[in-house]
Amino acid sequence: MEAPQYVAARVQQALAEDGRTHELGIRVDIRGDQLFLRGQVSGAEQRERLGQVAHEVAPELHVHNEINVVEATAPGEDEHLD
Amino acid sequence: MTDLRIAAVGDIHLGEDVRGQYRKKLEGIEDRADVFMLAGDLTRHGTLEEGRVVADELRGLPIPVIAVLGNHDYHSDLQYEIASELRDAGVIVLDDDGVVVQCGDKKLGVVGGKGFGGGYAGKCASEFGEREIKNFVSHTRYIAEAWKVALKEIVADHRVVLSHYSPIKETLEGEPPEIYPFLGSYLLAEAVDTAGADLILHGHAHKGSEKGMTPGGIRVRNVALPVLGRAYCVYCLNCADDLQTHP
Ligand SMILES: [Fe+2]
Ligand SMILES: [Fe+2]
Repeated sequence: MEAPQYVAARVQQALAEDGRTHELGIRVDIRGDQLFLRGQVSGAEQRERLGQVAHEVAPELHVHNEINVVEATAPGEDEHLD
Repeated sequence: MTDLRIAAVGDIHLGEDVRGQYRKKLEGIEDRADVFMLAGDLTRHGTLEEGRVVADELRGLPIPVIAVLGNHDYHSDLQYEIASELRDAGVIVLDDDGVVVQCGDKKLGVVGGKGFGGGYAGKCASEFGEREIKNFVSHTRYIAEAWKVALKEIVADHRVVLSHYSPIKETLEGEPPEIYPFLGSYLLAEAVDTAGADLILHGHAHKGSEKGMTPGGIRVRNVALPVLGRAYCVYCLNCADDLQTHP
């Protein structure tokens, strides 16, 4: 059986290189037959695409998509540099 | 003396599915800032389609808009096409050069470009060995030199450097240290410290931290949208006189 670290690395690389996702900052952890995705993206569609790509690369694992969707809020307080 | 208010953000990573959403967040930006700066990674895959979405979101803003591209905007080898779409929309796109914009009674000089990696003093790549490594390091050196020259040439009341890659490692805090060499280079900071500037803005490190400083004492801000958590941040230069009016 392939070491889980190599599987995780392959999934992470796919998330970065797959034309549907191109997401570089996603953490991939594998425990037994469970695969965990963590990180932040800007939209729900991107989160679903990441889960899909991870599933395709490691179909034998159960994917837990724990990625957060972060929406940019209105600008807050200004910073004064003097 | 009046403030010079700089709105800044990086890594907006827009695509067709979010068309129109970012623009809504820019409503009223002219009341909050004198100039708007974008620190690269405006698209996701660097396609022309995405570049047009970005251009449309930024088109016709009532304040000057200055941008550099990021590594994502280079991914499809269409960086020049994307830059010209942005320019057609009225955006000033810097590519290792500089521009001076008038902000009220102040002249603001902005120098910058994408920047590049290599790592930080003591733990960085050097121009030695394989051709591939030499090319990697010399690309960053070339950029740093271009910025230094551009900064020295510019005549303005304030000077700001706009980059995608980070000139220092403090603003990378939160990213795994193993990837620092791909997130920026100290050569960029060294060049700016030599030529002088009031502020350096960068993006790229989505998991990094907002605030840092070069060895020469120039303030650095990582304005990557995931770091700021908001549509943009406003930095005021030279506002010591009216601090009281901004409690
Ligand atoms: Fe980015
Ligand atoms: Fe980037």
